[in-house]
Amino acid sequence: MYSDKRRAYIAASCEQSFKKRALAVDDVMSMYGDNLSIADAVIDKTEKIGAYIVTYEDSEYPDTLRNIYAPPPVLYAKGDISLLKSESVAVVGSRRPTRYGRDVTTKFARALAINGITVVSGMARGVDTIAHTVTLDNDGKTIAVVACGLDKVYPPENANLMREIERRGLVISEYPIGTLPLGFRFPERNRIISGLSRGVLVTEAGRSSGSLITADYAVEQGKELYLVPGSIFSPMSEGCNERLKECGTLVTDIGDLISCNRATESREKVALQLSFEQQSIMDMLRDGEMHFTQLIDKCNIKTDELTVLLSEMELYGLIERTSGNYYCIANG
Amino acid sequence: MLAKVKSYTIEGLKGLAVDIETDVGNGLPAYETVGLPDTAVKESRERVRAAIKHSGFTYPPKRITINLAPADSKKEGSLFDLAIAVGILAASEQLPYRSYKDIVFIGELSLDGTLRKVSGLMPIMISAMQDGNSTFIVPKDNESEASYVSGAQVYPMSSLADVCAFLADKSTCAPIKTRAFVPSAAVNKYNVDFSEVRGQYVARRAIEIAVAGGHNILMIGSPGSGKTLMAKCVPTIMPDMTFEEAIEVTKIHSVAGVLDSGTGIVSCRPFRTPHHTATVPALTGGGAGARPGEVSLAHNGVLFLDEMPEYQRRTLETLRQPIEDGCVTVSRSKITAEYPAKFMLVASMNPCPCGNLGSKRQQCRCTPAEVRRYVNKLSGPLLDRIDIHIEVDGIGYDELRGSDKAESSADIKARVEQARAVQRKRYEGSGIYVNARMTNAQIKRYCDLSPECEKVLRAAYERLNLTVRASTRVLKVARTIADLAGSEDIKPAHVAEAIQYRSLDRKYWD
Repeated sequence: MYSDKRRAYIAASCEQSFKKRALAVDDVMSMYGDNLSIADAVIDKTEKIGAYIVTYEDSEYPDTLRNIYAPPPVLYAKGDISLLKSESVAVVGSRRPTRYGRDVTTKFARALAINGITVVSGMARGVDTIAHTVTLDNDGKTIAVVACGLDKVYPPENANLMREIERRGLVISEYPIGTLPLGFRFPERNRIISGLSRGVLVTEAGRSSGSLITADYAVEQGKELYLVPGSIFSPMSEGCNERLKECGTLVTDIGDLISCNRATESREKVALQLSFEQQSIMDMLRDGEMHFTQLIDKCNIKTDELTVLLSEMELYGLIERTSGNYYCIANG
Repeated sequence: MLAKVKSYTIEGLKGLAVDIETDVGNGLPAYETVGLPDTAVKESRERVRAAIKHSGFTYPPKRITINLAPADSKKEGSLFDLAIAVGILAASEQLPYRSYKDIVFIGELSLDGTLRKVSGLMPIMISAMQDGNSTFIVPKDNESEASYVSGAQVYPMSSLADVCAFLADKSTCAPIKTRAFVPSAAVNKYNVDFSEVRGQYVARRAIEIAVAGGHNILMIGSPGSGKTLMAKCVPTIMPDMTFEEAIEVTKIHSVAGVLDSGTGIVSCRPFRTPHHTATVPALTGGGAGARPGEVSLAHNGVLFLDEMPEYQRRTLETLRQPIEDGCVTVSRSKITAEYPAKFMLVASMNPCPCGNLGSKRQQCRCTPAEVRRYVNKLSGPLLDRIDIHIEVDGIGYDELRGSDKAESSADIKARVEQARAVQRKRYEGSGIYVNARMTNAQIKRYCDLSPECEKVLRAAYERLNLTVRASTRVLKVARTIADLAGSEDIKPAHVAEAIQYRSLDRKYWD
């Protein structure tokens, strides 16, 4: 089952530096041929948790990844490994997205899922998590590239998400079982996210967002870089807007990423007869979000009546309540 | 000679009859107290001796034995002083024979013979009345508290000399008159009114609903947004206490020794604000004497937990049982006491540790993990017992606020009382009196939903991630909203409004 060469790759994957790991790809036997015993322990542990080992020379190893600078010698994978060869787009962004970032991520992830494109992301907080969750909710395929051993969950609150992705998608890592999610591993991991995918979509990124590292890798690796613009006043969109001046494609719609023939934007709107007040609330909210107090002053109706009106509109998906009793028009 | 004097001690919220048997016999001068006395009782010897001496009597230079019967239960406190002194005087034949029989003596003595105030008098008197004792001699300072026990013959006395003069028929003294109970108009000690709360439309409405239905409420908002002020306003819109309620509260406050001796009765709804460093015994009751805690002191009133996540988790969890059962059982090695604890829980918290999450003015500095840890300090089971959670508007909305004068507490109170009357009628004879305490069977019976209402509720599950657990809370609150609107059935609008008061169930939190 495990030839010496495969074991040598596994031994190589235990190196700390990713450059050293990658060097091994060229001449793995001469570097690790005498040191195969490390591999056996790794194989043992990996099999124990039910994960696969895909080495650089295996047929499952995706070509898109094989051709990048410093490819990982081994991918540890849990889930459906056929996804490695599927057409995929990475969706990344801020760990603390604004409501705009959430809406954008949801919109694109849903469209990708519906069109059968695999969504690759890093299972980090914020945009990554939304991308995975939305994809799974729409029965799409998703790959999570994590920056630690497959036995670890980072961030811990995503334990359920990770289990779900293992079941219905794929979780991969270049690190052997037991590796801790240390800070320096995240940028390393980002090269795999971009390397696996046909293109990278950054939905929202601040000036020093880690997702810009993925964006830079995409340019380096010759992948497409899709950037969603944001308000020029929003610090949380600075990263995207700045990059757009230099490189990348500005995207506002799923059609800018993929050629899709199926209409994806038709989220069924409930047919609702709006009352006069509700119509005027909609008109007011078109200028941006408003506070409950502002609405009550402008509509001139009682508190409980307004609460009911807003609640109905929210339940019909027309508006959304954001934190602090603000209301805004629902996007997407 | 032997003398037997009646007295009482306090055990939980009940009085325990204690017979003070005094024997004064020949032998070397000595003084022995038996019957499991605690230090305060043992030390009464010094107080009694000095008091007798300074009241113009002779302390008998004989062998004195005091027995506190029943001998097998622990006695504590200083309220036997008077009874012991009377016993010694009677046993040494300085008082007319049997003049003291049928009288319950309660009081602490000071060295000069004056009687000092004791705590727990009201529950003692009520228990004694049930035992068939109706004549009491109590300290003057406890006079007003005693005056609310109807049917009792109470003689307030200011010193041991007065007591002896009375027993020797040398002075005439009329028993005090029983006073009628008047709910206090001064309402609360903070002197606040809802008309002082500007803006905050959502919170005002939610608090009105909460009080009307007896629901517990959690307010979430940034620092300085007026959560505390609104919490203090809650008692001002609660219905006045009935006499029975006032007596229940007074008993607890009397036992805890926090009763104002001037008024003698708790006539306005209690508002308790334990600090977040409060320990479990401070909150639920405890200590060697199993004293009532904050939850019991807040009985029939409001327990306000400011900055709820700052409390120790263990402390918060102990609140679950009292919230559910309306009483708390405090067990200590020597005593087990049950105290009522039917309070309305009003809690407040910041949206995150720095308090600025969701604020439009200031940037929140907390990491998502910190926010989650903060919110998670409130366990699911505890949140389950809080029907209403709302977000309070942040500061800096002065320019948004309407200029019209806000509604006063009295107006809101009128509506609340109306809704309460509807509920009392509905639940007559079922042991509950507000919507918040409905059992599952009662929810089924009284919260029957029309298909349109079901539709609204289903939409809420799908759109807003409401949990099934939240559904019963929504139903109860919808019932209260319907009661406030004077509607027999729950209408879709009532459900729709109730859904808005479940902020913490929403996922936008993290």
